[in-house]
Amino acid sequence: MVKPNFIYAPALEKEFRCKVPLKNTRQIFVVNGSVQGAGAPLSLRIEDGQAMDKMLQIIEVRDSGSPLELSFFEKFEFGKGSSGKIVQCSHTFSMESFRTSEKVEISLDENAAVEFIIMQNEHNGAYHSTDFNVRLAQGAVLNMVFLSLHGGVIRNNIKVSMDGEHAECNLSGLYLTDSEQLMDYSVELVHNVPSCFSRQLFKGVLDDKGKAHFDGIIRVVPDAQKTEAYQANHNLLLSDDAKALTKPQLEIYADDVKCSHGATVGRLNEDELFYMRTRGIPAKEAKLLQQMAFTYEVLEKISSTELRDRMQSLVEKRLRGEFAHCRNCSKNCC
Amino acid sequence: MEPMLKIENLHASVGDKEILKGINLEINKGEVHAIMGPNGSGKSTLSAVLAGRETFTVTEGSVTFKGMDLLKLSPEERSWAGLFLGFQYPIEIPGVSNVNFIKASVNEHRKQKGLPPLSPAEFLKLMREKMSYVEMDSSFSSRGVNVGFSGGEKKRNEIFQMAMLEPDLAILDETDSGLDVDALRIVATGVNRMKRPDNAAIVITHYQRLLDYIVPDVIHVLYKGRIIKTAGKELALQIESKGYDWIING
Repeated sequence: MVKPNFIYAPALEKEFRCKVPLKNTRQIFVVNGSVQGAGAPLSLRIEDGQAMDKMLQIIEVRDSGSPLELSFFEKFEFGKGSSGKIVQCSHTFSMESFRTSEKVEISLDENAAVEFIIMQNEHNGAYHSTDFNVRLAQGAVLNMVFLSLHGGVIRNNIKVSMDGEHAECNLSGLYLTDSEQLMDYSVELVHNVPSCFSRQLFKGVLDDKGKAHFDGIIRVVPDAQKTEAYQANHNLLLSDDAKALTKPQLEIYADDVKCSHGATVGRLNEDELFYMRTRGIPAKEAKLLQQMAFTYEVLEKISSTELRDRMQSLVEKRLRGEFAHCRNCSKNCC
Repeated sequence: MEPMLKIENLHASVGDKEILKGINLEINKGEVHAIMGPNGSGKSTLSAVLAGRETFTVTEGSVTFKGMDLLKLSPEERSWAGLFLGFQYPIEIPGVSNVNFIKASVNEHRKQKGLPPLSPAEFLKLMREKMSYVEMDSSFSSRGVNVGFSGGEKKRNEIFQMAMLEPDLAILDETDSGLDVDALRIVATGVNRMKRPDNAAIVITHYQRLLDYIVPDVIHVLYKGRIIKTAGKELALQIESKGYDWIING
């Protein structure tokens, strides 16, 4: 068990200068699936009533010495009334075709309050599939933000179980694809008890031959009255060959609920573009402003201004195509 | 002296439909021209074509602006060259704040002139000054461009942008539509304040009331894609009392 107040010294410091570590964060490096490469998977418990004083950054690393098939497992338990902020980053540091299979378990006991940010930034030859299993007890509040910035194939299978009344879960996600990347999200959010709230917002910007799948279902069991559950998935296509497949679903067995779902696949708005150009903003910049505006709705869910600004600048670099300039680099400017 | 803007025999279409059927117009520095005309006569098309909207195809004719072939320029190049279009229906851009939008715009103009971007303090000062032209509250800066603005606020935002960019030629497309008397006065005052001997404006309007505030040197009546009458400012009053029929049928 890792003590949350322990600062793990970065083992890869000499080759890796992560720019994300911000003031007041602690870091744990997970190398080849275990903490510091020492064999034990990451398992973290925040005790009842404990408030993590600093944001914890978990940095997952794949490097030239790593096996090509990798299993990662992380477990996060938040005790009653505890609170914390976690940033989990996933990186590839060399160009091997890593295949990562990962399981992440997150449980929140009564009245725990947690912010969990996942940043995925791997190279075009990497495949990464993660099962997120999330459980919320009564009165627990979870804000989870997924940022899939870059990667050959990224699959996120997210299962959330609302197990205690008055729990609240906000899932937000942003995925960006170009070249022939695939981002595949599936979400199954189950309201097992009455009076819970959930909101999902997933947005994607797809360029070149990039593809995205979104398959999301909200399930409300017969007794889960007074449920509020919302789901939205919006996709912006920048090229004729980009594709988005979206499948928003609702399965409601209770009769006193507020639920909605919606999905769109569209292009940049021509009227906005013309308006900006008449003010002297060149077409390329104007399109970038539109894309940044589109992504901001997800980025603004990150509560730390410093981390949000950092992520926003990564997204901007990514949308400007700066990552694609480094075909032979695996670090994607991170 | 060469006119600032010279439009010769301008024809423009959308698809197979010809909307402008041979416009001729010359505007000199220091002049304000009003273009009036019934609905569907091509007033908004003319302004969109001048600003470079790609939905319209110019099939014949030429437009010279400050000696340049305007029709060869992209919308942003026209803006850099000193042309400004005030939209009849200003576009909402959710997620792009008004301040970032106008900052991008002003700094792009400066870049084209070889000037460095304004410092945050300089920019703020300029912005405050120009917002006061149209009695705009500073709370507008952080809001999305035109998002949730009332009709009057949107038009004031157009005039504010114009004040920031200081164009040589401003085309105001029905800036008075949807304005109450107070908003109309504010907008018109803002426009008049920017009038200089070396710039010019085209004011497109349905109604004479805007021309009470922004007094034109010349009034043109556009009908079915052609200018059918050009006269002094007194024409607006005649149109107000007699309508367009006497001109169209005359």
